[in-house]
Amino acid sequence: MIKQVPDAEEIFIDPVKFTLNRASARGIINPADENALELALQIKDKTGMELVVITMGPPQAETALIECMGRGADRGILITDRVFAAADTYATSLTLAAAVKKIGDFNLVVAGESTTDSGTGHVGPGVAQFLDIDQVTYVTSAYVDKENVHCERDLEDAVEVVETPMPVLLTVLMNSNIPRHSTLRKKIDAIRKGIEKWDHDTLNLPPDWVGLKGSPTIVGALRIPQERKREGKLITLDDIPEMVKELYEKGVIGKEEEL
Amino acid sequence: MSEFDAIVVGAGPAGSSAAIRMANKKLNVLLVERADPPGSKNVSGGILWGNALAEIIPEWEKDIPLERLITHKGTTFLTKDSSISIDFRSTKFLENHSGYSVLRARMDNALANSARKAGAMVVTGVTVDRVAKEEGKVVGVEQDGEIITSDAVILAEGANPRVAIDSGLRKPIGDQDVAIGVKQIIRLPENTINERFNLKGSEGFAGEYVLSYLEGEAEAGGFLYTNKDTISIGAVISSSKLREDGQTHSYDIMESFVQHPHIAPLLEGGKLEEYSAHLVCEGGIDSVPRIYGDGYLIAGDAAGFSFSNGLMIQGMNYAITSGIAAADTVIEAKERGNFSSDSLASYERKLEDSYVLKDLKNFRNIDKVTWSRVTHRAIPKIAENLLYSMYHETGRPKKHLMQMILESSRDSGMSKSQLILESYRMMRRM
Repeated sequence: MIKQVPDAEEIFIDPVKFTLNRASARGIINPADENALELALQIKDKTGMELVVITMGPPQAETALIECMGRGADRGILITDRVFAAADTYATSLTLAAAVKKIGDFNLVVAGESTTDSGTGHVGPGVAQFLDIDQVTYVTSAYVDKENVHCERDLEDAVEVVETPMPVLLTVLMNSNIPRHSTLRKKIDAIRKGIEKWDHDTLNLPPDWVGLKGSPTIVGALRIPQERKREGKLITLDDIPEMVKELYEKGVIGKEEEL
Repeated sequence: MSEFDAIVVGAGPAGSSAAIRMANKKLNVLLVERADPPGSKNVSGGILWGNALAEIIPEWEKDIPLERLITHKGTTFLTKDSSISIDFRSTKFLENHSGYSVLRARMDNALANSARKAGAMVVTGVTVDRVAKEEGKVVGVEQDGEIITSDAVILAEGANPRVAIDSGLRKPIGDQDVAIGVKQIIRLPENTINERFNLKGSEGFAGEYVLSYLEGEAEAGGFLYTNKDTISIGAVISSSKLREDGQTHSYDIMESFVQHPHIAPLLEGGKLEEYSAHLVCEGGIDSVPRIYGDGYLIAGDAAGFSFSNGLMIQGMNYAITSGIAAADTVIEAKERGNFSSDSLASYERKLEDSYVLKDLKNFRNIDKVTWSRVTHRAIPKIAENLLYSMYHETGRPKKHLMQMILESSRDSGMSKSQLILESYRMMRRM
């Protein structure tokens, strides 16, 4: 599962609707999803499993799927319909889980841990819940051995090694591997093969389970932090005592017992 | 049987124009571009001169994202203290369009989309390694160890033509072939730009500068173009003079240009949006490689097709015209079923009949004007001395013009006879 996200340098927050304005930004594959794809491709290389990439998004997300197929994925499925728009993480997870079920028998679902445009980390675990399968989060590497998958999880102060039977869902941390490039041969083949488009009729979910209607999340308020003026000053070695004094007086630094 | 009739490497103006032309004639075309989306990796001066696109996109002024119609042109010598300009603005340009400022990230993407709509397959985000050869003939391209076959390959990969070089189709780029371009895009409100440059609506300004305040051996030209709500400003720096100098860095030159007392006020309060650098074709006709051979053609900057005489810097129109000529050559070769060097030789004849090779041949020695001590140091110094003594009231008796000119040339570092000879040469070369 991947998501096309706006290039973080080109987005801004709509001051009225409190949503991200993605219209003008270039679409890229969410960075953690690139690592999830790479991990899935490594498993496919070793096991020969079929790799299907799914995403939910506007029609432009097609380019992200073609890129994934250019790197080695076998199929690309775009879940796209106006009624799916403005879905929160609950409705998104539910819709994606329905799509995974429709694909048929599967061993592994691999997703990025979180996205750069919302950063909730909800969707991977949400899909696992709706599919009623186990999940391993914060994965940095994995391999499949018969019926089991062996994962390493990054717990910041420790690495946890997990072995668990499939089917299972993994969420993969950003920067946990180096994503491969797409190749010309595979991209030509991907463009010729094309992606599959699934809409509301394909998934056949009740209308009030999806999109904005199916989303219980309410954004209560949004605050944009004020930019703080920073003062720049060039000092030499001789100025250090004066600088420490000034910082102390301004309350930037204090005595140890005061801190 | 080849997989494609033609593979075009590079979706800039040359490559996309070639792909559009061939796809319009129902050829089976693959256009490969390393940037995703097309245009996001290039750096360009940013004025599209002429009407070259009309041949493939009749409504190009509507269909291609353009910034401003150039109605105001400036050529300026910048010394440490002074700015001496030839300033030309004309309402004639409103009816007879001469050029538009463009942002290539938008324009190139639109051109590649036009190629896709015309029926070409466009693959982005992939870098071709080299052409594939069989018995000396180009038979396609190679990428990641796989060969994609085609009857013809058009290399339109820009000023740093790695595929052509790595495939042995042209010699590596040297100091004499290229300059270094450094560029910033600075965001300012549309009305601020209009006020500062005295422009109305979507009229635009295009200025070229001689940065004669530079010290040592370094020589550089500057450019400043207005877009809708950004300004493109950059320096084009002679790489051979930079090497001779050994002390100055290209980024210092760029910085000194934007901070020059007569430039900085134009940019004040603007937000730096992009900073980029690229090679710029500057070698003229002597840098043009062999532009065709068995199964391949080279177009645009990759072939060294660009023109600069200090007053105008042009490249995109040469790219578009050469891309279309390359496409027409491939279309004819397909009708003949012959993609040999002999069959593709008409490409060079087409360019010889057009302004592309005529300009390059007519201005063979223009680099001796654009990169010279006379242009970069002596003339600006004389002009500054002369104009300052004309406009500066000292309370002393005034002098005759000829007397002032002679006095002004005294500290230019050149003798009178040298100046007369060099001026004569310059007039001939330009």
